[in-house]
Amino acid sequence: MERLAVNRLRERLPLDGPTIDRFVERYGCPIIEGERATFLYRGDVDEVWVRHRVVGLPDPLPLKRIGESDLWAVTTVLPEGSRVEYQIEIRKGEHYERFNDPLNPRLAHSPMGSSSVCAAIGYRVPEWVAHDPEARPGTLVEEQVHSRALRRDQPVQIYLPARFNRAQRYPLLVVHDGTDYLQFAAMKTVLDNLIHRLDVDPLVAVFVPPRDRLKEYPNHAPHARFIARELVPLLTQRLPLIDTPEARCLMGSSFGGIASLSTAVRYPGFFGSLMLQSASLVFTDIGFDHGGGPAFDPVVKFVNRFREKPSAVVDRLFMSCGVYEPLITPNRSMVPVFRHAGMTVRYTESRDGHNWENWRDRLGDGLAWLFPGPQKFVYE
Amino acid sequence: MSTTILLGPQRFTTTVGATVRSLGVTGRIAMVNSGWEERESDDGELAGHLDGRGVNLRLHHRMMDVLTKDQHFAAAAVAFRDRMDELRAFYGIRLQAAIDAVHAVAHRTSIHAVGPIAEESAMEAVREVDRWYAAELDELYGSVRATAPLDESGTIGWHRGEIGALLDECEAVVIAGGNVRTLLRTLRVFDVTLRPEQSVVAWSAGAMALTDEVVLFHDFTPHGVAAAELHDRGLGRLPGIVALPHAKRRLMLDDHERMSVLARRFAEHRLLLLDDGAVVRFPDGATELPAGARVIDRTGHVSVVGVA
Repeated sequence: MERLAVNRLRERLPLDGPTIDRFVERYGCPIIEGERATFLYRGDVDEVWVRHRVVGLPDPLPLKRIGESDLWAVTTVLPEGSRVEYQIEIRKGEHYERFNDPLNPRLAHSPMGSSSVCAAIGYRVPEWVAHDPEARPGTLVEEQVHSRALRRDQPVQIYLPARFNRAQRYPLLVVHDGTDYLQFAAMKTVLDNLIHRLDVDPLVAVFVPPRDRLKEYPNHAPHARFIARELVPLLTQRLPLIDTPEARCLMGSSFGGIASLSTAVRYPGFFGSLMLQSASLVFTDIGFDHGGGPAFDPVVKFVNRFREKPSAVVDRLFMSCGVYEPLITPNRSMVPVFRHAGMTVRYTESRDGHNWENWRDRLGDGLAWLFPGPQKFVYE
Repeated sequence: MSTTILLGPQRFTTTVGATVRSLGVTGRIAMVNSGWEERESDDGELAGHLDGRGVNLRLHHRMMDVLTKDQHFAAAAVAFRDRMDELRAFYGIRLQAAIDAVHAVAHRTSIHAVGPIAEESAMEAVREVDRWYAAELDELYGSVRATAPLDESGTIGWHRGEIGALLDECEAVVIAGGNVRTLLRTLRVFDVTLRPEQSVVAWSAGAMALTDEVVLFHDFTPHGVAAAELHDRGLGRLPGIVALPHAKRRLMLDDHERMSVLARRFAEHRLLLLDDGAVVRFPDGATELPAGARVIDRTGHVSVVGVA
């Protein structure tokens, strides 16, 4: 294997500014060489770290100064297909600062802000993520739905597929953290493209944002009542939906996965399927020391109770989780529990973390499994 | 008697123009491309291949018109589709289980010669599921005819009259591919009857529509029912043939066991492969496959008609 670019640079010490300029311009940052990633930072600082949340890699990951120059570097293993979000942290005297990698233009966005993205060899953004001018766009309709259960007007966005026709009937997908899925996982574009490509059946989706997420998502009776007894019946009354459990799916990521599962548990048999992405399925086998902080208390209570008496609350369950996130172990552990309860489970892992682009990239597999498209009907 | 010609897909290897010219047709040619659905009117390229003699029957457009103007028919159409979707869902569950059983039985070691008997019995169970679906579908069509007779719709009647008059003026008909469900539905609602003297050129979904049993297939479909599914009856101009367009792309032709199951399941039909460049001629009203046609035989291999 050829030696790393940064090691070849080290042989040319001492380094002057123009040499470093040319190196950075030529290789960019991070430098991906086989299954190795080299992170760079350039500046007059005392310490530099890569900050990330990859389980298995040290965090913070310190960079070392190259010679007496202002260039810092660290190389780490990064298996094929990986995708990692990170930031740079520096110390200058007593001053600490954290920001996106100034040498890397590639960013990912989330409700918490943005991060730099390191994509390993073999990682590709799925082609159905980008806008396809040939894909007919669906429509997003904003509405306020009055909820007696939540005691407020709840905003929702309803996705109607291209060529929406009242002479047809459609399955319904309820999306927790709906606004975030639209904004950070490009879900409208993804739906437009997957439907256009015949991978996914034309469907109606309702995107529901939370108000108080930490309260409403971990097994909250008013939230479940709103979804199952108010929102779905209202939509079924107003739109040409297939009025069977098989055609109703709840989805969500992280706490939104718990909101989906707990709603299905409270209304067993009402929904036919679930799509859980990196669901916060934290549980304890003994005691209650789960390490997730107070926000996870109701989650752990709910998951522990489900594990004590698992039941098939839906027929089909799509689960995905990143292998670099702490939730990988609970998610893996729950797969046999769900299967043993009698649900058909499709479970996929990715070399990614707890983030929106990971969840975006898994939409194709999940939605095509839950709502198989009409490929068999089309012979061009 | 007229000639019927089935072609391979026309997207990358376009032969329809040359094929139609080979028929020596001098008059107008009816174009059916309702399988293209909302793109039906984008027929400029197809019309160009027909030297400007094409007359689009606009069946999809007419269907939209009927659904808008005839509320009784529109309601019946939704009800029919709901029932058919439910029937297809149950059929899919039963069919996949039956097909899985065939493969499981075929893979089981048999020391005392029970295996072949069990396999044939499992195959018969698959055929029984197909028969059940076909019978239920007939029943469904029967009940729709009874509750919402198409003949009683003034709008449909008007369109049928116009289509009939257009067809009477045409020497030949071309039927393009697209969504075979939509294509069949429009052909059925408007009672499109091909005249015995009219030559027909069809490809992809259009070729499927000319047969008596339309079978949906896609071995590489990522999800859903993996087995080939009986869908509906076609126009029946070419009985005894199951048309398989895009076979190389959609069928696991190298999986001979899988292909053998498909061939034995539809034992009374010839499984005709229609890949790019295929031209299969049925002259003078013939319905037998001509020499050179490629089919899947009972062993699951591709063979060529007329080659020993």
